[in-house]
Amino acid sequence: MKTIRYTKTLFYYDGPQVFEARDAIGGHYVGVMVEPDGDQDRFVIRGVSPEGLRRFRSGLLDLRTLLLENESEDWFLASPSTPTGEELTLTPQTGSIDDSGFLPEEGFLLHDLPTEDETVREARERNNLVMEISVEPPEAVSEHRIRVATLAALLNHVQTVVKHAYGAALRGLSLDARRSIDKSDAHLLDVVVPAAGGSFKVLFQASKETDLLGNSELGRALERVDQLFEHAADPARALAVVKEHKGHLAGAYLRFLRFLIETRTGFRYSWAQPGFTRPKVSGISEAQAQPLVDALSGISNLGAEAVTLLGALEKGDVSGTWRINTPEGVYSGKVRDGGPSLEGLKIGSTYRFSCMEEIEELEATGREVRTLYLIEHEPA
Amino acid sequence: MAYREELPPQCPPEGAEEITADREVFRAVRSDPPTEADFQSQRAEKPKKEFRGLSECVVRGVSVFSDRRDGEKLLKLPHMRGRLLARVRLTAGAGKIQQTFSPSHHTWWPFADYDILAHCGKVES
Repeated sequence: MKTIRYTKTLFYYDGPQVFEARDAIGGHYVGVMVEPDGDQDRFVIRGVSPEGLRRFRSGLLDLRTLLLENESEDWFLASPSTPTGEELTLTPQTGSIDDSGFLPEEGFLLHDLPTEDETVREARERNNLVMEISVEPPEAVSEHRIRVATLAALLNHVQTVVKHAYGAALRGLSLDARRSIDKSDAHLLDVVVPAAGGSFKVLFQASKETDLLGNSELGRALERVDQLFEHAADPARALAVVKEHKGHLAGAYLRFLRFLIETRTGFRYSWAQPGFTRPKVSGISEAQAQPLVDALSGISNLGAEAVTLLGALEKGDVSGTWRINTPEGVYSGKVRDGGPSLEGLKIGSTYRFSCMEEIEELEATGREVRTLYLIEHEPA
Repeated sequence: MAYREELPPQCPPEGAEEITADREVFRAVRSDPPTEADFQSQRAEKPKKEFRGLSECVVRGVSVFSDRRDGEKLLKLPHMRGRLLARVRLTAGAGKIQQTFSPSHHTWWPFADYDILAHCGKVES
């Protein structure tokens, strides 16, 4: 018996009404709710071409045409409890799908207004969040080129800023809300078009698929990134916004701005989720970056983040290194010259450690090295 | 304020907004005039159904569209054949609402005291 696996909801109304699915060998299918069958939902299922599906997602092809354009006569019914949670077993049907009464009426377009915008079009076609960035370093002025090191560092900076923006966005949520989100790897971007036409452009896509409701967790991060770039033309306001994000996000942003100045380029980006009608667009010019870097460089501890650890002390020695076992994991760190003494602390006792976490980026690899510096400790 | 249906913890989600200003939404209904049954959530319609992969919060909400064209589009689906499109006026006290899935699709969690049928306007096929 043929089976398929749900991949994405394309149209939702009191449950998935139209969804896409793949079979074991990568074939594409579309399912359309036809009628409930007791507590089961019943869907008509039809194999579709990748190109047809792309055009349907983009709002260029209507659903009925998509279902009819397959040259094969094969069509199926499936009755899962909900298509999103299980493998669907397909029951082959005889006769023409055209005469089945299960086809939608003409004119069901996923998007009524096909977009001219490249980012929104990509988001719809890929049914995922996409982000397009563009830079104009000196070597890109006369032709479509970029230094290897510049491109590698650019990609790393963008991913790092997004990662810390996601962390900052999550910290703004309640503990219950954070727990309800599957946030593993949600900050990751994949490069899907490494060198798009125009000034040097790169297209990213969220590494993880959108959730059932069509939203990418990454959107949370990019909304934070938008806040950082929103007032690029107004250094005083931009400075105030970055100060609000003091911590690893501000530190990553400052390192990124320094990189833009070093490589003599501005930075533009746009991003969209599949449901957007317009992309969100922002960026900063090389000229705008310089005064902002000057101002941010004068703020002490801009990139440091306060961290509180509650747990059992495992190690604490006179050299100023320590290790503490908390419910979230084991952490180790240092005491700066002039910092609190570890003398008298008992191994195995529970303490509250107030620390500052600083990030140092290794120039060769871009890898971040985190160090926790103890500021204060008290028995708990 | 109590909701029309018993909701799980953290539902409606933090992103949902309480309706305080008038707005219009559209919902597919079975008859003119609509009945209470037209505004049941998936959970109320199928109390024993297992909604795999869907959050219990979402299945206890009601789908509505803010853009009439999306409501009209919905009626083109085979499952919706014969249904009508009702215009519903949401006023202060209607409950909480959140945009979900597409720009026009919203999940609505009505308050228990809100008289939905009294706020239903024109119904069109």
